[in-house]
Amino acid sequence: MTGRANSIIIVGGGASGVVLAAHLLKSPNPDLRVTLIERRPHFGQGIAYSTLLSAHVLNVSAAGMSAYADDPGNFWRWLQERGLATAEQAPFYAPRSIYARYLGELLDELQAREKQSGRLRLIREESLSITPTASGVEVALANGTSVVAHLAVLATGHDEEPAQGHAIRMGSEADTALPPDAGVMVLGTGLSMVDAFLALEQRGHRGDIIAVSRRGLLPSPHRKGNPIKLDVADIPLGTQLSYFVGWFRDLIKENQKAGIDWRDVVDGLRPFNQKIWQNWPASAKRRFVEHTKAWWDIHRHRMAPEVYARVTEAVRSGRIRLVAGRVVDIARNGEFTVQVQSRHTQRLETFEVARIYDCSGIVRDISTSSNSVVRSLVDRGLARPDPLRIGLDVSAKCEIIAGDGTVSAKILAVGPLTRGTFFEIDAIPDIRVQCARLSKQLLG
Amino acid sequence: MLTKKGKYGLKALVHLARLPVGQLAFVNDVATGNNIPKKFLDAILGELRNAGFVQSRKGKDGGYRLARPADEIKVGHVVRVLDGPLAPIPCASRTQYQRCEDCNEATCQVRHLMLEVRQAIAEVLDQRSLAEMRDISLDDLSVARAIDDLPVAGDIGDLPVAVKVQA
Repeated sequence: MTGRANSIIIVGGGASGVVLAAHLLKSPNPDLRVTLIERRPHFGQGIAYSTLLSAHVLNVSAAGMSAYADDPGNFWRWLQERGLATAEQAPFYAPRSIYARYLGELLDELQAREKQSGRLRLIREESLSITPTASGVEVALANGTSVVAHLAVLATGHDEEPAQGHAIRMGSEADTALPPDAGVMVLGTGLSMVDAFLALEQRGHRGDIIAVSRRGLLPSPHRKGNPIKLDVADIPLGTQLSYFVGWFRDLIKENQKAGIDWRDVVDGLRPFNQKIWQNWPASAKRRFVEHTKAWWDIHRHRMAPEVYARVTEAVRSGRIRLVAGRVVDIARNGEFTVQVQSRHTQRLETFEVARIYDCSGIVRDISTSSNSVVRSLVDRGLARPDPLRIGLDVSAKCEIIAGDGTVSAKILAVGPLTRGTFFEIDAIPDIRVQCARLSKQLLG
Repeated sequence: MLTKKGKYGLKALVHLARLPVGQLAFVNDVATGNNIPKKFLDAILGELRNAGFVQSRKGKDGGYRLARPADEIKVGHVVRVLDGPLAPIPCASRTQYQRCEDCNEATCQVRHLMLEVRQAIAEVLDQRSLAEMRDISLDDLSVARAIDDLPVAGDIGDLPVAVKVQA
């Protein structure tokens, strides 16, 4: 298929879909046809960048957020050209709505540029399913029509699973107005919890926020620094998890002795994270997800220093209470009576709250995905969950692997859906590299 | 550079990779079969166990076996655990870097080339699995001998200048 795949449908026009389209359209091939399908009213937003709240800033500084793998300064320049940031503000954490505007403008420019050529087509509609045909693929849309192409790339981004039990998603229809002093519980203590706290503040909420997760860990703040330089020759690959963790702790200790911040060591490992993941035995991957990932995430996925200051102040003042434990019972009696068992003392504690927000952000099982395209692929055996069920099983070349192990030449995937194979593939700096590589693979 | 420790470790693992899946090998058999000093081998196998490449069982019927299929363990995985970061020369490593007392790094062409060699080492060792190393046949070994003999067998244009002058 490679070399002849001139027409490509991208299912999902959020950030990863737009970034992929931008990389594909760098090809000079006049016969190329890229169709981008998005169900939301705006392209380039997805779930991640649809927030209008100015306090919801990017968790990566502007210097790392370019849409182009070969032009890392693109977004940072865009901001400065529009007077939205100045060089002195670096590291600058732009509001996510600004980032959505950046991707929107980028797509507008591509559309204007490709108007004559007809190489780019946008469709605002929900995709229902992808079916392989003799000559390519057919994508069925919710309006009853369908589009065909040589191949399709899934770029459906973060999966929106239904909220657990009585909990609701922030910003969903069930998220109605709350009395300002109402007690609130948040399931999760990570970056999504932080987003929820900022949104509540914005709405004038003043009540207590009980944030519960297995370990009750809060992500760390960013700090200005320079990632240390590592080489793949240095990194123990393919070992058991405990051995790797021991090596990494020692590396941090040595560097700290030399006055280097742990963040620079964590960030120095980033270029090798996918390689480390791919070389681990299945048992190490499973252990990592179960035991180590929570610790890794709070060090690796950090927040802007200003946001951290606000959150820690709220924790200090008692507005936010971080609880390490698990919810064992929720009773509804107008309000919610929630019993949480402490991780450390095993004791039960009871909380009365008016609302429970699901900010756990955990993919529990991709085959129960709320995305109909993903679910129908799994249901028909055209795709299967990866061994950890955190995404779809894909090859190292992003090709979907069917239920019987066959590698598809026609259906591919990028972004968070591929995390079983690529591990850290949630953020733009990683997704743009994946998109650049895939474009080269498909178009040469 | 590959030390004796790395070499012995690889030989021991190839020995284990030849056994039927799940069967244990006595340390003594591995040692005598591969000409490895027993005490040294004990230490090596201990490190390989810590890294998750082999499993051991104690007691009379005890011994060692591979912890995972031989095609999943890459040679580079093992060498890093036994010998540390891959590097042809200490000044060409990032984490185990040692400055050469006798040269100026900024102008040292040797180091520059050795950085490239480091990449090549990683590329080869991370591609090859224990299973592939185990399955190197006697035919391949004779090819290896031919490679060793190459300067004599090859075209004169490929030969290093010093050899050419002699020829």
